[in-house]
Amino acid sequence: MSEKFSAALRIGDLNDYIAPSQACIVSLKGLKSNATKTDHKPEVVIANKQVKSEPVKISLKDCLACSGCVTSAETVMLEKQSLDEFLFNVNKGNAVIVSLSPQSRASLAVHFGISPLQVFKKLTSFFKSLGVKAVFDTSCSRDLTLVESCMEFMTRYRQNQSIDDVRSKSSLPMIASACPGWICYAEKQLGSFVLPNISKVKSPQQTIGTIIKHYLCQDMGLRPEEIYHVTVMPCYDKKLEAARDDFVFQLESHDEDRRSDVNMIPEVDSVLTTGEILELIQLKDVDFKSLEESPLDRMLTNINEEGYLYGVRGSSGGYAETIFRYAAKTLFGRQIDGPLNFRNIRNSDFQEVTLEVEGKTVLKFALCYGFRNLQNVVRKLKISKCDYHFLEIMACPSGCLNGGGQIKPKTGQSPKELSQTVETVYMENVMEAEPFNNPIVSSLYDKWLEQPGSEKAQRFMHTQYHPVEKSITSQLQNW
Amino acid sequence: MAIESMELKEIQTLEGHTDRVWSLDWNPVTGHSGIPLLFASCSGDKTVRVWEQNSLSSNLFTCKAVLDETHTRTVRSCAWSPSGKLLATASFDATTAIWENVGGDFECVSTLEGHENEVKSVCWNASGNLLATCSRDKSVWIWEVEQGNEVECVSVLQGHTQDVKMVKWHPTMDVLFSCSYDNTVKVWADEGESDDWQCVQTLGEPNNGHTSTVWAISFNASGDKMVTSSDDLTLKVWETENIEMQSGGGFAPWRHLCTLTGYHDRTIFSVDWSREGILASGAADDAIRLFVDNNESEVGGPLFKLLSKKEKAHGMDINCVQWSPGEKPLLASASDDGTIKVWEVTP
Amino acid sequence: MQILWFMPKKKGSLAQIILTPMTLDIRDPEHPYSLEQLSVLSEESITVDDKLGLILITFTPTVQHCSMATVIGLCLRVKLKHYFPPHYKVDIKVSPGSHADEESVNKQLNDKERVAAALENPNLRQLVDECLYSNEL
Repeated sequence: MSEKFSAALRIGDLNDYIAPSQACIVSLKGLKSNATKTDHKPEVVIANKQVKSEPVKISLKDCLACSGCVTSAETVMLEKQSLDEFLFNVNKGNAVIVSLSPQSRASLAVHFGISPLQVFKKLTSFFKSLGVKAVFDTSCSRDLTLVESCMEFMTRYRQNQSIDDVRSKSSLPMIASACPGWICYAEKQLGSFVLPNISKVKSPQQTIGTIIKHYLCQDMGLRPEEIYHVTVMPCYDKKLEAARDDFVFQLESHDEDRRSDVNMIPEVDSVLTTGEILELIQLKDVDFKSLEESPLDRMLTNINEEGYLYGVRGSSGGYAETIFRYAAKTLFGRQIDGPLNFRNIRNSDFQEVTLEVEGKTVLKFALCYGFRNLQNVVRKLKISKCDYHFLEIMACPSGCLNGGGQIKPKTGQSPKELSQTVETVYMENVMEAEPFNNPIVSSLYDKWLEQPGSEKAQRFMHTQYHPVEKSITSQLQNW
Repeated sequence: MAIESMELKEIQTLEGHTDRVWSLDWNPVTGHSGIPLLFASCSGDKTVRVWEQNSLSSNLFTCKAVLDETHTRTVRSCAWSPSGKLLATASFDATTAIWENVGGDFECVSTLEGHENEVKSVCWNASGNLLATCSRDKSVWIWEVEQGNEVECVSVLQGHTQDVKMVKWHPTMDVLFSCSYDNTVKVWADEGESDDWQCVQTLGEPNNGHTSTVWAISFNASGDKMVTSSDDLTLKVWETENIEMQSGGGFAPWRHLCTLTGYHDRTIFSVDWSREGILASGAADDAIRLFVDNNESEVGGPLFKLLSKKEKAHGMDINCVQWSPGEKPLLASASDDGTIKVWEVTP
Repeated sequence: MQILWFMPKKKGSLAQIILTPMTLDIRDPEHPYSLEQLSVLSEESITVDDKLGLILITFTPTVQHCSMATVIGLCLRVKLKHYFPPHYKVDIKVSPGSHADEESVNKQLNDKERVAAALENPNLRQLVDECLYSNEL
């Protein structure tokens, strides 16, 4: 399997490289468990060895629903979420919107030796020259995600305090939901014991998709189906996330009879990695450093009046940090200024922060990056010995800045060296700002979602997780 | 040492397992200081059996304990901790169990989960604080065993492209070796700027390595040589720089020394290097062979010579051979025929 | 067409006997035909050396990319185990050139550890047993 995916996806049954045409179990007649939705015909073989076969088409959704390999997905993804597909949609004259992650910005900034803000502006010029309608910033949608996550944490914390509540047991620790590699691993390998702990709030990628297709499109005078929305991410696994059934919605206006897949609108149509964007720049033969710097699209971008980018700290989204501060203030009246005191436990990818009130630890949060650390918290969760209130779990060592989709080290550069440089550049000319003070977020609540944690906010901002049954067919293939 | 010939003489056939015996491990603290020899064996019958020498003067063994009702599938591998107090068992049920000897009774004190499917081998490091496991899921895991038998995962190593058959720690240093269905042996160490373990060397076909599944690995007493056995019907001996240099920091790579070819007819599942320098191999041709360093070898001649071959040592495939600790080592062999045999070597 | 099989007449010796249509029950899991009907096995594909206790069996998957070749191989292995003394060494291969992943299929089928583990998997075991004992034909 490609090393592009995170370690969590590369482990075990998730990892055999089998191209769908060859050995995908979804094609096995009579043995399929999850593939019943697909209406392909099984291969027909006649005894005299003449082979008539209908090519089996497998969608990324089939791959996700199946406990076999994820990597068939890779082949499918290369088709569906590729530069070619992106350029095809741009050229077709579709309203293409690009949402850029701050991690991708940092990676490109290091690669070109310019600042993340410059990267953002130059990329805006570049994408618009290709015909892209708008370029947005997922640190903006991330702030909305963080506000909703704070709300969810409060609810869970209170549930946990009420001893009678049956749900109190599985309400804490709450686990961040932004890492699709972790989600996929949890659904396929761990199943029901961990899923209730995962935050219901959508990731920044899906949040910006929701905002654009459910709300912003009206402001832009577009129908959701006219928009082709692409995110630029540090991570291959994000492609799998975008393809989830949970992130597709049905257009309401169409009449019942014509209900079909055609009317299903994905929040995010395609995900391109940072590396693929670099490829695109090279493909178009553009001298990126000398590109002009266009003004940013302010509608969904964290940029203030003075022209500074703003956002939370924490290169994997700042979940633990933001929720910790909010909970400390709201639950215990403790305002924490300055950086939080994260302590390394075992290694730098496992860090812990606690709040003590009257000698008692009242909040215990951890950052937990990489597969080995993930395993230890999972083991503790399983035997109910995990005393954390919140876990920011990311499948990649060093977190999202080190995602599999980021630009690779140059020759002679060690991965460690590169990741440290990117880490330094990440917050360069980005002002630290609280998500609750973000004017775009406030305006989204005022005009659309009502209140943080409201029913409406939950309807658009929450998602679900589904344990994937081990399919028999995958075992027949992989022994 | 000039050993000219040597014979294997069967002392005892141990029956009890009801399915093939996959592996066995001698308890390292037995066989001297007045403690009778002890070893554990594991089987397709999902159990582990512990066998003990009747007395120091007797070479006969009796089954002292049957460890069952913990693993739900084949127990593929077992390993005693250096202190001889803990026994780790790896199973096809994807778990590894740690057993503690409490006054002769074995109690399962910890179960390690995380591997996706069959765990195939388990091994303790020299100081007994690290445990390595490997699996068909292609990964090698390193676990730290703390006070009170608390276990934490230290590292998940993904580098092999196939099923990993065996893990083995270097006898003195914290360097780990893994053998795989992908025909390679990988060397793992925790060094350099990264705070995680990583592959520091891969011994494969390009460096005179095996051309099929590598099943087993064993070190000589000083730890500067190792031998690997394979489905390609050869044994290969590897050497490294003086081990003292390695402990000073920095990894000294291993290089191919020689290949023992033409001796085996079917897959060689097991090889074990005795402290006295004798290599024993157990293979799917039901035979046990003994090899020794050929001191009188002329330049370019074979570096190892066949000392003896015991045809039909078992009625079926031999899965494991291992030399006992103690002054006059015995050899134990485990077979698909469901038995374990104990052998002594006679001149 | 019938297939020749070999069975022990008395302990320690082997005699060639013609087997009942039992083998026809080995079904390709993907197709409702027997293996023989699909030309998977033929008389020539089985050789037995009684003296050395060796059996070599080659089969021809129905298609180059047959995804169930390894399962068919498992079925054959289990089947042979019923008819020969346990000490017989069995090598199972796909006939040369008949499968896209010939080398890897052969390697997997002759790795006894993988085979043992597979046969412990209840789902695989059930499929193998169905292939061997089903009387649906």
